[in-house]
Amino acid sequence: MSAPLVRLSFPSQTRLLGLVRGVVGEVASQAGLEPEAAEQVALAVEEAATNVIEHAYGGAPDGLVELQADIQGSELVIELLDRGRQVDPRSVPSVDLDRYQRERRRGGLGLHLMARIMDSVSFSRREGCNVCRLTRRVAQR
Amino acid sequence: MSELTVETRDLEQVTLLYPRGFINAHTVRLFEGELRRLVEQGRFQIVLNCADLAYIASAGLGAILGSIEEIRERGGDLRLSELNPTVLGIFEMLGFDRLYRIYASEWEAVSSFASPEGPGPA
Repeated sequence: MSAPLVRLSFPSQTRLLGLVRGVVGEVASQAGLEPEAAEQVALAVEEAATNVIEHAYGGAPDGLVELQADIQGSELVIELLDRGRQVDPRSVPSVDLDRYQRERRRGGLGLHLMARIMDSVSFSRREGCNVCRLTRRVAQR
Repeated sequence: MSELTVETRDLEQVTLLYPRGFINAHTVRLFEGELRRLVEQGRFQIVLNCADLAYIASAGLGAILGSIEEIRERGGDLRLSELNPTVLGIFEMLGFDRLYRIYASEWEAVSSFASPEGPGPA
């Protein structure tokens, strides 16, 4: 992604999740998404940022997270980059709510939400960073 | 508005929880603590009035999942009312509307505890 519309760097602290959510919601609105859809996209990105803070950085507050958001043609593209531990999302089991409830489990719900809200969610490595890329179709600009 | 406050109110056997703000990975401890406190006090008939809940992230949904079995094992339940479209959408997206009774009004949620079956969810 070159010269994104928005670039935001923040430390790996959950108190900043509300800020991330606000920024992404605004970008999603500007991209043309209806208010409820923009809210959902903001939630998906908040979940991705939560995963970075809690898993890639293991809760350490001094990691750096970079968010890049851009509108590319008919797609809203959001990337989260970090230099924490590489987390393999394939190791996260699929969500079976009945089993979750029985076993009092809770992990993996965020990934499940991300996948339901966004058109695509992918994980990769780029220049030493973990990259979580989320896309959502918007009206052609 | 602060990030999250949770007020409670007892109405005979039913305890009402009023989260105001949002429940995410940052605020979930407060919410989870309130749920835990109710269980420890033996309050197992709980209505979560979501009228002032702006949104709930997976951390909050996990907190509900984490306590519901114990509440139901003790003969109680956690029921919800007055979800805004964003919160209701999240519940439906994850299938939570299949696991939990959701009511349009607080009164319906509270009175549903009056009979074993109670009125059907909205």
